[in-house]
Amino acid sequence: MTPKTKSLVLSLGLATLVAGCGRPSNVSKETDQGIANAKMESTSDLKPDSKADNPVHTIVMPHDEPLFPPGPGRDEFVTACVVCHSPRYITMQPRFSQATWLGEVNKMKDTYGAHISDEQVLRITDYVFAINGKAGTGHKGAYGE
Amino acid sequence: MNRRGFLQLVGATGAAALAASCNRMNSVVGILSSPSDLARFPEKEEMILLTDRPPQLETPLHYFRQDLTPNEAFFVRWHLEGIPTSVDLRTFRVNVSGHVRQPLQLSVDDLRSQFQPSSIIAVNQCSGNSRSFFEPRVPGGQWKHGAVGNAKWTGVHVKSILDRAQVKSGAVDVSFNGLDAPPLPSVADFVKALSIEHARDGEVMIAYAMNDQPLPMVNGFPLRLVVPGWYGTYWVKALSDITVLPQPFSNFWTDKAYRIPSGPNGTESPKDLAKDTVPINRFNVRSIFVRPDPDEMLHPGMRIEIEGVAFDSGYGIRRVEVSTDGGASWADARLDPEIGKYSWRRWRASWTPRNRGQFRLMARATNAVGDAQSKEQWNRSGFMWNVIQQVDVKVE
Repeated sequence: MTPKTKSLVLSLGLATLVAGCGRPSNVSKETDQGIANAKMESTSDLKPDSKADNPVHTIVMPHDEPLFPPGPGRDEFVTACVVCHSPRYITMQPRFSQATWLGEVNKMKDTYGAHISDEQVLRITDYVFAINGKAGTGHKGAYGE
Repeated sequence: MNRRGFLQLVGATGAAALAASCNRMNSVVGILSSPSDLARFPEKEEMILLTDRPPQLETPLHYFRQDLTPNEAFFVRWHLEGIPTSVDLRTFRVNVSGHVRQPLQLSVDDLRSQFQPSSIIAVNQCSGNSRSFFEPRVPGGQWKHGAVGNAKWTGVHVKSILDRAQVKSGAVDVSFNGLDAPPLPSVADFVKALSIEHARDGEVMIAYAMNDQPLPMVNGFPLRLVVPGWYGTYWVKALSDITVLPQPFSNFWTDKAYRIPSGPNGTESPKDLAKDTVPINRFNVRSIFVRPDPDEMLHPGMRIEIEGVAFDSGYGIRRVEVSTDGGASWADARLDPEIGKYSWRRWRASWTPRNRGQFRLMARATNAVGDAQSKEQWNRSGFMWNVIQQVDVKVE
């Protein structure tokens, strides 16, 4: 992705972010490093000792609203992949080769039964490679990592 | 554009101020997130965020300065999108069924009041702990060394429960399922199994307390299987079903996933993958540097205490050696007293650097049966990392 596209992506993403506003924030800024960083915090945080009083123990998981840069296969990615896992499952990985990403996307279809066609596998592979790929890196994955 | 550039842009447009009034947990860095993102989940302290849904959270290294890892900082790893977020203890039961004469439905109160309680200090470590250090890199949770923790687990031995259920003769395996659920019918439910002998060894336990407190929900409230000396994949969280089987257990998570090459230390070559694989099982021996931090300030003539932890699958740590010159020479570290055969054991070594410069610290542990750490290691899944760790520090 070129720097220009990235900046466009982020501007668009920002618009989404702003549009999703409502309650008080938990986005903090680490000024000491000059880096603003989104920190996920839970909206409800029961103390362990409250379990003794209440037989129903409930937590509220933090909700992360990720930003999806535009790219080939973005629609397929957003429709088929994010049903089961957040895009951090892609972005936490090293920048893998197209072949490694193809192996991972095929694993989602063949092993985990993602509802995608072979054509969509290729489109999604293009997308994850575009946002987190690099030629000639990584080794084909196995299961259960 | 890099992150900083983006954030400068954000600042310039005043959007940060807008973002600051948001209610949802937007990732400002979003898809460009760095691996050092921190996140705070319910009942947890701020932890290193690998993924948010399902959650995978890594323990920051400084917590390993304590013998017992606090519940609030203990690592988190789920497989399936549908993780439990609410449990009603009035209706929750763990069901014991299958090849038994007396099926049981036990509440947490039943476990606490009707069985002999037992406690054990034991390390729980993710199979993929330290995966990000394998070369070539492999897909999967990109953990550094913090997918591990040491805790005091209190609960009931599985043997006591199986005895009450009266296992029929011919039992082979016992499977363990939790409340987590797959997002699609095509995804295999996460169920793991142990042999009947292992399940009845008098050590495998159902824990209702972790460091004398109820478990955090994301660590498996209200009950978690404890399999001392074995990788975390067997420590089923939010345990709800125990099934005794008269035949070997078979499912995706055992037959295809969580397998290691059958050769020594689960190692294979990227160019020549092992044909025979077996289910991952006991921990190998390893040590982890806790101090100094990579960015700690060190000065010539100033004595510092190098510190770390070492553990194996229960034989016990016999020796830890430390090098401050990149492995050219080694000296024995002092071992803290053992606090349990399945606990990690702390080691310490004093070091007074004489000169300024870069130094490579290394530590290698050996256990009571002579198993030592690897010099090099690779497998396709990124499991069982136990290469001798190197920490580069600067003395100035």
